[in-house]
Amino acid sequence: MPVFPSVEWFDAVSRSFNSDEANRTAGGGIADAGVGIIFEDQVFLLNFAGYECEKASVIQRSDLENTDFYLEMHPDDWIEMLINIQQNGTADMNYTLNTLDLDSEDGLAKSATDDQYRLDKFFRFNQTIQFFFDASSDVETEFDREITPA
Amino acid sequence: MSTQQQSLEAVKDYADDYDLKLDWLDTRGEWGIKATPDARKGLTLEDIQTGSYGEVPDHTDNMTGRLRGAAQREGAYRTGGYTVRTKSDIWLTNAAMLYEEALQRQWSSATDIPWDTIKPLPDDVERAQCQLATFLTEVEFVAADVPGKWVAATSPDYFEPRMFLITQIMDESRHLDVFRKRAFANGGGLMQRPDVTTSGVVGSIDLSKDFTEMSSRLHISGEGAVLTIFRMGELMAYNEAEKYMYRLCGQDESRHVAFGVMHMRYLAETEPERKAEVHAYLDEGERALVAGNQNPAARDTAQSEALAVLLGGGQKHYDEGYKKLLAIRKRQSREYIQRIKSAGFGERFENGRANPELMEYAKA
Repeated sequence: MPVFPSVEWFDAVSRSFNSDEANRTAGGGIADAGVGIIFEDQVFLLNFAGYECEKASVIQRSDLENTDFYLEMHPDDWIEMLINIQQNGTADMNYTLNTLDLDSEDGLAKSATDDQYRLDKFFRFNQTIQFFFDASSDVETEFDREITPA
Repeated sequence: MSTQQQSLEAVKDYADDYDLKLDWLDTRGEWGIKATPDARKGLTLEDIQTGSYGEVPDHTDNMTGRLRGAAQREGAYRTGGYTVRTKSDIWLTNAAMLYEEALQRQWSSATDIPWDTIKPLPDDVERAQCQLATFLTEVEFVAADVPGKWVAATSPDYFEPRMFLITQIMDESRHLDVFRKRAFANGGGLMQRPDVTTSGVVGSIDLSKDFTEMSSRLHISGEGAVLTIFRMGELMAYNEAEKYMYRLCGQDESRHVAFGVMHMRYLAETEPERKAEVHAYLDEGERALVAGNQNPAARDTAQSEALAVLLGGGQKHYDEGYKKLLAIRKRQSREYIQRIKSAGFGERFENGRANPELMEYAKA
């Protein structure tokens, strides 16, 4: 069972996301974006190209300036979001990426370069990124800690 | 001689024998083009920017509707009264990509919104939602109406941004219809129309004589502000239908903002002598961002009060909602500032030209 977060886990979610053609409709579709993911001291890069998440890899924090934007939350918040997705099949009203972004004073989506054009891709491809994390409901996931969802 | 050439010669011989005129066979643009589809996206407009067909003229006197690269035909009528005939007036480096993105990321307001999740709401909340929907239907009407005029004014040599504007008209029409549907979906209806669309900076978008003037008002100031409203829509949604509605509208709006940012960046890089003029447009746009009736996240309007009611969770929690609105206004201002910097006009935030009230919003 893949552990969140890990390249193995992101690869498993990518397989589920890429194989479901429904993710290409209803506001999904082509999206070219390099998305960073920060979980404590671990940093990952997701490469979205065309209709797919093409590759997941581990990167250094200094590499974030090559991303269009990155998503950073407290580890408990990441896990809480993923548990919510597993329980509901998709994120419910309180756990969509955009809601979490607005709920947080500093935001969930950030730019390492202060380039708003690139950061705006978080909004431009929001449904695609949401579909991606919603696809994690198909992936049996192990977390490295236990939390009590609020 | 290849089989293809032999066939052509045979046809020409036949034409000679029977006095047929087939000279059009030799009248053509660059020949032998074989575009290759992108393995991940299919055959896109970017893939066919090949050879002379990808060469965009800096200026064009093509007034006949002839698409770039097609052979001219003598006697063609001057069908278009195109006023946009200079590349830098409308160009951006990624219009073809944004156009493909627009085509492939469409959604249906009829079937992609889970309308069945809307349940009866307290009367004050429903009225606030309907007030906001009334505002947004009219604003989106303007945002669909204005680009139409510029489609007709743009030379076919610049068809990429021209076609993007057509997708914008489709997007804005869908936004109009989805908010109209929301107003009628839960026992409410339309409420007081806003005064914003017929006066002030928003109302004067349609008076712009220059495409960049229009784009700075529509894509940067107007749609940038509305994008924030759509995003905060998820925060004040009372059901899944509203979440989807705002999120999907936000995606589209962000694409339109990207068009404006990239056009301004292209203009700043290729015609820096026009920067002073663009700063004047931005002066106006910033006044609108802080003015009461121009920006729904500003203050003291039916829209801003509706937003506070929705964000707070009802009229009784208005103050709480207003605090959230202030936080959103701050984010809206910061995002605007970063966008302008990204577009190549960031000096206005260093040299004191930017609107002081806007700067206060960003710091608050």
